[in-house]
Amino acid sequence: MANPRQLDNRRKSIRNIRKITRTMELIATARFKKAMDRAAAATAYTDRITALVKDLSRAGLEVSHPLLEEHETTERAVLLVLTGNRGLCGGYNSNVIREGVARFRQLKAEVPRVTLEVSGKRGISSFRFRKIEPDRTFTNFEDRPAFAEVEVLANRYLDNYALGKLDRLDVAYTSFHNVARQTAVVETLLPLGSIGGADTTASGETEGPSPYEFLPSAESILEEVVPSSFRVRLFKCFLDSAVSEQVARMVAMKAATDAADDMIRDLSMTYNRARQGRITSELLDVIGGVEALST
Amino acid sequence: MAQQLQCIVVTPEATVQDESADFVVLPLYDGEIGIAPSHTPLIGRLGYGEMRIVAGGTTSRFYVDGGFAQVSGDVINVLTNRAVPAEKIDAAAAQAQLEKAQAQPANSDEAIAIRDRDIAQARAQLRVAGRA
Repeated sequence: MANPRQLDNRRKSIRNIRKITRTMELIATARFKKAMDRAAAATAYTDRITALVKDLSRAGLEVSHPLLEEHETTERAVLLVLTGNRGLCGGYNSNVIREGVARFRQLKAEVPRVTLEVSGKRGISSFRFRKIEPDRTFTNFEDRPAFAEVEVLANRYLDNYALGKLDRLDVAYTSFHNVARQTAVVETLLPLGSIGGADTTASGETEGPSPYEFLPSAESILEEVVPSSFRVRLFKCFLDSAVSEQVARMVAMKAATDAADDMIRDLSMTYNRARQGRITSELLDVIGGVEALST
Repeated sequence: MAQQLQCIVVTPEATVQDESADFVVLPLYDGEIGIAPSHTPLIGRLGYGEMRIVAGGTTSRFYVDGGFAQVSGDVINVLTNRAVPAEKIDAAAAQAQLEKAQAQPANSDEAIAIRDRDIAQARAQLRVAGRA
């Protein structure tokens, strides 16, 4: 029979771990709610941009922009991988990294010059572990990515694309569908396939001409809409990643807390049995001694 | 009661402002425009500059960083990357950006366009900050 004291010590340490995982779960829940609100605010912005594009297309404007067109040859590509700075969040980091590595190998085979940019300590260390040295790393995007910070990145990509120093931009991130489902995906953001949603251009036709006056001109507005919509899409990638990370951590920590509960229950039972067993054997010893003396 | 405008300012991070106003001045790409109630529907491209919202005799001033404005009915939607109250502008950072942009060599049309944009952005911030 196991030593009751050992069992008790083990139970205590599991209790302590349970306290930690439980707290982490609560923190992740609170952060998740905040991140969710930010994502909702970004959605308000994208919705308005989409509505704007719809109004533009109702004005009979052909949607064309350098950012929407592919360059003739793809020579320089950038792969941006968005991971978390911290672990303890289930498969969140490893899923993104797996997608990222696969796309990186594929790009490497197709494109002469591939630049790898990684955000998040986890991603940086695991790319190094695979002997792939990232060209640029970021660790400043925590669970609340600021638009000002993402904008700097976005503007650099936009400028490089305009200058022909960049022909393709892929982003590997975790897309957030709902609380129960997040998937690691790789998306091509440059050249931009469509702005807002592709279907908006077709549905606007029936409603007649646009009532709006365009200042200075519809073309000039379009010139600004396309980069804006790119910036917002990149920002959305960061937000989605942040939300997904918190959800993943929440789920992982919940599972850890539940597992700790199970272990504590099992250990308590074994401990009680062991203790009772010891008491019984000691009693038997005493009774045996008494019997031996009385005869 | 006089007709009122509703002015909604949205950035990708948050809805900065949602309030009624008597009169709004927007910095369009090629000059300022004043919007009073019952304005004709309009979509405008914003430049870098100062947005003023007049409500009940007080004027609140913001720096807006490009974007769009949509006026329909008595609702003004302003979509911009950043909307900063004029007194909170970081003039030192703007000055640094201006100097960096001016020092940047530009040898193609695209590079010149990028440089001009950076300079215009920095100058507009300094202008708005200087008036506060």
